[in-house]
Amino acid sequence: MDIDLSAEDLEFKQEVRDFFEENQMKPGEDYFSWRLEWFKKAREKGNWDVPKWPEKFGGPGWTPTQHYIWEQETAKATIPFDLPFGLGMLAPILMSYGTEEQRERFLPDIRDRKVNWCQGYSEPGAGSDLANLKTKAVLSEDGTHYVVNGSKIWTTLAHMADWIFCLTRTDDSGIKQQGITFLLFPMKQEGIEVKPIITLGGSHTVNTVHFTDVKVPVENRVGEEGKGWTYAKGLLEHERTGLAGLSRSLVALEKLKDNAQSITRGNGTLMDDSGYKSKIAELEIDLMATEYTELRSLASASAGEELGPESSILKLKGTEIQQRIQKLTVEASGVFASAWGDKPVGPHFSKGGMAGYLNSRYYTIYGGASEVQKDVIAKNVLGLTRSKTK
Amino acid sequence: MNFELSEEQKMIQQSVERFVQENYDLPTRVKLSGDGVGFSKEYWNSMAELGWLGLPFSEDDGGFGGNQIDVIVIMEQFGRGLVLEPYLSSVVMAGGAIKRGGSDKLKQEFLSSLIEGSKQLSFGYAELQSRFDLDDVATTAKKEGDTYVINGQKSMVLNAESADAIVVSVRTDGAQVDKNGISLFLVDADSKGVEMESFPTVDGLRASEISFENVEVDSSRLIGPINEGFGILQEATNDAILALCAEAVGAMEVLYKDTVEYTQQREQFDHPLSDFQVLQHRMVDMFMEYEQSKSMLLRATLETVQDPIAAQKTIHGLKYLVGKSGIFVGENAVQLHGGMGVTEELRVGHYFKRLIVIDSILGNTDFHLHKFTNFD
Ligand SMILES: Cc1cc2nc3c(=O)[nH]c(=O)nc-3n(C[C@H](O)[C@H](O)[C@H](O)COP(=O)(O)OP(=O)(O)OC[C@H]3O[C@@H](n4cnc5c(N)ncnc54)[C@H](O)[C@@H]3O)c2cc1C
Repeated sequence: MDIDLSAEDLEFKQEVRDFFEENQMKPGEDYFSWRLEWFKKAREKGNWDVPKWPEKFGGPGWTPTQHYIWEQETAKATIPFDLPFGLGMLAPILMSYGTEEQRERFLPDIRDRKVNWCQGYSEPGAGSDLANLKTKAVLSEDGTHYVVNGSKIWTTLAHMADWIFCLTRTDDSGIKQQGITFLLFPMKQEGIEVKPIITLGGSHTVNTVHFTDVKVPVENRVGEEGKGWTYAKGLLEHERTGLAGLSRSLVALEKLKDNAQSITRGNGTLMDDSGYKSKIAELEIDLMATEYTELRSLASASAGEELGPESSILKLKGTEIQQRIQKLTVEASGVFASAWGDKPVGPHFSKGGMAGYLNSRYYTIYGGASEVQKDVIAKNVLGLTRSKTK
Repeated sequence: MNFELSEEQKMIQQSVERFVQENYDLPTRVKLSGDGVGFSKEYWNSMAELGWLGLPFSEDDGGFGGNQIDVIVIMEQFGRGLVLEPYLSSVVMAGGAIKRGGSDKLKQEFLSSLIEGSKQLSFGYAELQSRFDLDDVATTAKKEGDTYVINGQKSMVLNAESADAIVVSVRTDGAQVDKNGISLFLVDADSKGVEMESFPTVDGLRASEISFENVEVDSSRLIGPINEGFGILQEATNDAILALCAEAVGAMEVLYKDTVEYTQQREQFDHPLSDFQVLQHRMVDMFMEYEQSKSMLLRATLETVQDPIAAQKTIHGLKYLVGKSGIFVGENAVQLHGGMGVTEELRVGHYFKRLIVIDSILGNTDFHLHKFTNFD
C-alpha cells in the first residue's frame, strides 16, 4: 500500500498546471471566445476537451489517477464552464446504446460545445420514483415518428437548451420500468412550452416543459423501444458519482478559512473562535476521510474491479460536506448573512454565501435524494430487503 | 403552576391569528415585501387600532400594561404568517428602550404616536466590526454645549427607511469594547448628516446601513443615564430575542405541519411519502424540536417577567436552541418536500429563509452557546 504518485503522474500533474497557466483568460478578452478557444487548445493538447470520454470515442484515455489529478487541478484553476447534460450524461448513453449514425450526428456538436442539451426525466408524478413517468409517446401508424404529449418538471436550463433527451412512455401494460422509451428532439419547435420555476434565491434555472403533439422521427429514438429505463439507469450512476464534488470542496474549505480569517474578533479572527474553529475542524476531518474513500474507489476502478461498496457513500458524504461548507460561510457573515441588495454589504462573501447555502439545499434532492440513496445502499450493499409480513 | 393564557391573552391570540389568516397568504406577503418600504401601512394602522402596538407599554405611557408574555403571544402568530410589519424593531426594541429610559417628554412625544400608529421607530445597535457584541460600539457622541454630535455608522438596521426616528447606541466613554460608556440616543431619521442605504434581506424584509456624520442631537434625546445605556440596551434586546424566538416557534409550527400534510398527499413508489418510516421519524424530530423550542421560550419568558437580570443565562440558552432547531426544521421541511421545497411558489421555502435569518439576528447559535458556557 502506498500513496505516492508515479513519476509519470507527477509529470502529468505539472503538464496540467502549465496548460491552465498558459491558457488563462487575458484581461479584456471576451469570455465566450476565450472559452471556445480554450477547448480547441485542450483538444490539440491531447483530447483534454473531453477528459471523461473513452479513447475509442476520441477521449484522452487517462488512467483513474490521471482523472483524479485533473479533478483536483480543475477545482483550483479557473477554467471555462461546462454543462453536464450533453457531455457527461447523453454522450455516454449514445456511446453505449446509440447507432453509428446517431453518434456521428450528435457527438461532434456536443464536443464542440455547439449544442446545449437538457435532461427531461422528472415529471410532477415522477421524482424519486422516476419510473412512474407518464409523458406519452405514440408511434404513428406509418411507423415514421412518435407523437409526444405530457409534462416534465425541474428541467434545468430548458429555456436555454437546443435539444432535450427525454424519457417517454410508449407502453403502460407491464411493470413501470418497462415501456419507457428514450427520445431526442429539438426544443425550439411548435408544441413545446417552457415555463420558469423560480427557486429559493429568486433565480431561474429550472422549468416546467409541456409537450403538445410534438413529432419526433423514429431515427431519434435511442436503442430499442421500451428499453429506455435500462439506458437511463446507467446514466444516473454517471450523474451520481460526479456529484460528490470533493476536489471542489477541498478548495472551498480553504476559501472558507480565508473568509473566516478576514473577520476580526478581538485581537484575533473568527478562526480563533473556539466554537467556529471546531466546526471547521470536524468538517475538515470528514473531508479527509471522504477523500480517501474516493481514492479507494478510484483504486478499485483502476485495477479494473467492480466499484466497491465504499463508492456508494460518496454522493451522500460529498453533498453533506458541501452543505456544511455553505452553512459555515453563512455563519461567518454574522449579522450580514441576510443582506440581499445589489450593492455588497458587510463581508465581501456574504451575499454569495447565502446564495450558495440556499443552492446547496438542492444537492441532497437532485441526482437521487439522500433518503432514497440510503434505501439503495441498504438494499444493494447491505442486502436489507423488507421481509413479507408473516 | 399554570401555563394557560389569560382570557385577555387568548382573545389577543385569536384576533392575531384571524388577522394573519385573512391578510397574510403567500402572494400577498410577496407583493407587500416587494413594494416600497416592504410592508403595509394599512396593516400597521389596523394593528394600532386593535391595540397591539400599545400592548407592552404601561397605562401611564398610553399603553395597555402588558408584558413579554403578551408580546410572545402576538409574535408567535406573526411567525405563522411571516408578518412583515416592523413590530420587532419599532415596538419591542425602540419602544422597549424608550419606555425603560426615556424622559417623560420623550415618552409623551414618541410612545403615544408609536402606539397610535402615526410614528415608527427603529434601533441601530450593530456595526460593521461588532458582529453580535452589543458592547462593541465605535460610533461616538461628543458633547458640545446642549447637544451631542454623533459620528460613525450602524449596520443592518431593520426597517430604518420607514422609521421617523432611530435609537442608536453610541460610545460616550471608555474603550471601543466596553459595557460602560455606552449611551442611547433617539435620532430623527431626517437629521442633517444621516445617510441611509436601504436594501432587501433574503427573507423579504428590509434593512439599512446608516452613516452618521456630525449629526447633532439635543441632550433631551438621551435615553437613560449617560454612559450607562448598556443595561437598557440589553433588556430591550432580550425582549427582542424573546419576540424573535416566538416568531421562530410560529414559523416552525407551520413548517412541521405543512410537511406532515404534504407527505400524506404526495405519492411516490405507490405510497404516500408519509408511509416511509425514515420520513416519519424525521417529522417526529421536527415536531420535537418545535415543542422543545416552545418550552424554552416559555421558560425564558416567564423567568424574564419575574426577574430580567436573573433570566439572562436562560435567554442565551433560548436563542441557541431556537437557532439550531429552526434551521433543523427549516432544512428538513425543504428536504422532505423535494423539488417543491426549493421553489418560491410554496411557502415552506419562505419560512425556511426566515428561520435562517432569525439565527443571524441578535446573536447566532455559536454566539449564545459561548455566552451560556462562560456565564457566571
Ligand atoms: C435544482 C434542481 C434541478 C433539477 N434538474 C433536473 C433536470 O435537469 N432534469 C430532471 O429530469 N430532473 C431534475 N431535477 C429533479 C430531481 O431529480 C428531483 O427533484 C428528484 O428526483 C426528487 O424528486 P421530487 O422532487 O419529486 O421529490 P420526491 O420524490 O417527492 O421526494 C420528496 C422527499 O421524499 C423522500 N422520499 C421519496 N421516496 C422515498 C422513499 N422511498 N423512502 C424514503 N424517503 C423517500 C425524498 O428523499 C425527499 O426527501 C432537478 C431538481 C432540482 C431541485
